[in-house]
Amino acid sequence: MSFRLPHLRSRVARELDDELAFHVTMRAQQLVAAGVSPADARAEALRQFGNLEAVRAACLVNDQQRVRTMRFRAWISEFRQDVAFAIRTLGRNPGFAAVVILSLTLGIGANAAIFTVVDALMLRRLPVQRPAELVVIGDPSRVNSFASTTNPRTDLYSYQAYLAVRDNAKTMTSVLATGRSGRLDVRIDTTAGAATDHPRGRFVSGNYFSTLGVGAQRGRMFAATEDAALGAAPVAVISDRYWTEKFGRDPAVVNRTVSVNGTGITIVGIAPPGFTGEIVGQPIAMWLPITMQPIITGRGGALAEMQQQWLILMGRLAPGRSVESVSAELKPLLQRTYLTRGLDGVTVTQAQADALEMRVFDGSLGLSYTRSLLRTPLFTLIVGVGLLLLIICANVANLLLARSVARGREMSVRLAMGAGRGRVTRQMITESIVLMTAGVAGGLAAAWVSSKLLISLAASGGIPVEIDTRFSGPVLAFTLAVAALSVLLFGLAPALRATRVDLSSALRSGARALSGGMGRGARPTGGALLVAAQVALSLVLLVGASVLVRHLHAISTADAGLDRDHLVIAEVDAVRGGYTGARLDALIDRLSAQVAAVPGVVGVTYSENGIFSGTESANTLSVPGFVPATTNDSVAFYDQVGPGYATIIGATIVAGRDIAPNDLQGTQPVALINETMAKFFFRDRGTEPLGGTLLIDGTPPTTVVGIIADTKDHDLTSAPVRRFYAALRQRTTGEAESLRLEIRSSVDPAALVDPIRKAITAAYPTLAVSEVRPLAVMMQESVRSQWLLSRLATGFGVMALALCALGLYGILSYAIARRTGELGVRMALGASRGGVVRLVLGDAARVVTIGAVVGIPLAVFAQRTLRGTLEGAAPADRLSLVAGVAVMAAAALAAAMIPALRASRVDPAVALRQD
Amino acid sequence: MLDSDGGVVRGTLDVLILKALSWGPRHGYAVAEWIRAVTEGHVLLEEGPLYTALHRLERKEWLDASWGASENNRKAKFYSLTPRGRRQLRAEAEAWNNYARAVGKALAATAPTLA
Repeated sequence: MSFRLPHLRSRVARELDDELAFHVTMRAQQLVAAGVSPADARAEALRQFGNLEAVRAACLVNDQQRVRTMRFRAWISEFRQDVAFAIRTLGRNPGFAAVVILSLTLGIGANAAIFTVVDALMLRRLPVQRPAELVVIGDPSRVNSFASTTNPRTDLYSYQAYLAVRDNAKTMTSVLATGRSGRLDVRIDTTAGAATDHPRGRFVSGNYFSTLGVGAQRGRMFAATEDAALGAAPVAVISDRYWTEKFGRDPAVVNRTVSVNGTGITIVGIAPPGFTGEIVGQPIAMWLPITMQPIITGRGGALAEMQQQWLILMGRLAPGRSVESVSAELKPLLQRTYLTRGLDGVTVTQAQADALEMRVFDGSLGLSYTRSLLRTPLFTLIVGVGLLLLIICANVANLLLARSVARGREMSVRLAMGAGRGRVTRQMITESIVLMTAGVAGGLAAAWVSSKLLISLAASGGIPVEIDTRFSGPVLAFTLAVAALSVLLFGLAPALRATRVDLSSALRSGARALSGGMGRGARPTGGALLVAAQVALSLVLLVGASVLVRHLHAISTADAGLDRDHLVIAEVDAVRGGYTGARLDALIDRLSAQVAAVPGVVGVTYSENGIFSGTESANTLSVPGFVPATTNDSVAFYDQVGPGYATIIGATIVAGRDIAPNDLQGTQPVALINETMAKFFFRDRGTEPLGGTLLIDGTPPTTVVGIIADTKDHDLTSAPVRRFYAALRQRTTGEAESLRLEIRSSVDPAALVDPIRKAITAAYPTLAVSEVRPLAVMMQESVRSQWLLSRLATGFGVMALALCALGLYGILSYAIARRTGELGVRMALGASRGGVVRLVLGDAARVVTIGAVVGIPLAVFAQRTLRGTLEGAAPADRLSLVAGVAVMAAAALAAAMIPALRASRVDPAVALRQD
Repeated sequence: MLDSDGGVVRGTLDVLILKALSWGPRHGYAVAEWIRAVTEGHVLLEEGPLYTALHRLERKEWLDASWGASENNRKAKFYSLTPRGRRQLRAEAEAWNNYARAVGKALAATAPTLA
């Protein structure tokens, strides 16, 4: 806005000077009339006036402000007129407005939705005091783990190691510890038989809240001394959300006692709204002092033993300290601790201590396993929606361009009648702004709905992900920036183009050039280049979508080494229900018999962790004669299973036998191992695995009685891991902590879900049955994020394709409408209909070819990058590229065919009369 | 009443300007002459502040201004009341009258009768 133009200042000043001069002259005349000599009159008039300069300056400032205000009002009122004009103009062409607004809504909505998730997961700082000072010590992806090993570790820490760090570290002013709680059974109403709920909990050190700098909104947080002694503080802090959902925000909840896993726990405080703990994607509802862990979980040793490693640490940096200085201080500190104390009687060697690698990270964003899990898919999506928005912008620009050309006459009339070029440009841009505003509003609404959906669908593998997807400042800023950029991209070019209309030629509308135009050798128009760009970008999206779809298909249909279509998995809360030891054995036998009697069931076995259950066990072991090269070499995953396990789940027994009904407690411990394990511990050094011995830490020697082919029993994408299957009834690795039945059916497993549930409930009416589901469903859910990604990418691809076809159709129709006369002449001169069709299709082919020449290398590059991010990716995927190009060509042909046929039906007589 | 840039004098000047224009458009000099005449020189010691006030009131949109020819046919800036200015005059005149009556009453009072 040009308020400070020099001529403006001078006009205001000139008028002011005229006014003051008039006054002084009049006064002087009056004085002369009263008898003062003309010589003295002017001086006297000035004296009566006072300080002329001061008055002039004050008036000038005042007037300039007045003019500024007026200008601003005028501008606003013109803008209003422009907006009203734009809305009227758009209203006359509702189809155009709808296409533009809808596609912008989609493009901006998709970008905003994905950025919302990116922001919540990757960019937002913890709502605590000075988050930039926080560091994480440990491996954020292990935040829900509990390891019991004889190796010193740096991904998780024992409580004793934490105390050593807390009490000795000088680079941090305070260090907190947090660990998993396992499932909590909370009874708010402590009378027997009342409902139980399972809030997500976390065991934290007493200084947890003070280190983070989070105060209570009601009651109090933990005191730093709250974790002083085992079981000394049966207290809890709850989250604002839990308070709302379970207590209706009742203030009297403070000092109320609830039952947590049967222990009376007093709620002492409520965390402030918005604070959900240090784990992003996993909001915590209840915090408990770490020293309550053994009492609440009933699992001893987690505080005293160095082998029980289950804590992640967070520290607040001392002034001037960095992540590196923490790492440098902690490494020798922990080495000393491990070397002098050992791990509960197991000596730590110097080599083990030397091998310790510190994991210390910036903690300002909190910890998250979801973050690393979703990083790649989100990045892929961001690129995808970015491309989509570019395509949409190109399409909208094209539509506006065509429209501005169509309105060329109107524009030239207005310019000829003296409308300022700036004003006409402004009206065009206003139209873009109106479209954009509608698009942004729609986009934000769409994002609000879809980001929630996105995150709920993306949560795969049974671990719920919860992210605060409310719009934050950054999301709004991002959306507005994207919108502004889009307006520039699609709005400015047509506006400039429109006002550059050549007045004389546009007004002579009848005189249409008959040469050049659509024929060979003509330069492609701006519209054609935009469509070519759309073709190029769409190819990238199509090929990317094809890679993702084929990858999903490959992983979900790959041979998992088990019979996915004939298995039902039932989880029962036997151990929580108090069934252990002989009672558990009796329960297992009775349940197995009951379920086996269900018609359609052909076999029943059981295990601790089950298949695709989301729970997993690992242990360290040694094998006589095998020398581990790294500490990781002594780790193997395992499950405890029942008789006939391998046969019933449909695994291939390569050698030896299955677990047998007589593998019971008191007999020689036996185990099956998978081929990866057999190869790693035995065959690679030329030993026969069958009959070999496993020295699983803390257990008697176990004999390998069978070898089974690798199965994908926990996820479909990862490479197979070393795994052994111990006999559950021998309790070699301790009492099972959970129980699942694997049930083989001869009919559709879905039909057996209800009968099986009924059979279990009939045998044990009070036993909680957590889940009865066909395995195929569980496996499908395990690839839900890949499923979502491929569906979204396909959606983007289809949309890009449709927009491309629309763009192509648009420029061809427009060109043909303009060239009706030319076509008439050609046909009058003997051109055949086929010739005209070929002419138009040739035009389309030219545009698509330009796009493909640019797009194919881009697509190949995108394909390569994308495949690098996929686990278990299919081999080089040339088919995706070919398919992408073919689909694009088919769509282009379809889009071009309609205008081509229309062109061929031009009646020469009519066409020639038209001008 | 004699402080030169304080509220009372400025307020006085504003209301007098509005009054001066209540009979129709006048230029600054005519306003000054009228104020001098009716206040016998008590309000407008110097004429400069009149112009500061006129321009201020114009910005407040109590006054409108346009250029026209004066009595002696010179180009002059004529001020006139806007509807808002007219409303303001009514409101201020009433406030002044109430105020003046109250002060006058107070000054005319005899011995205080404090209960």
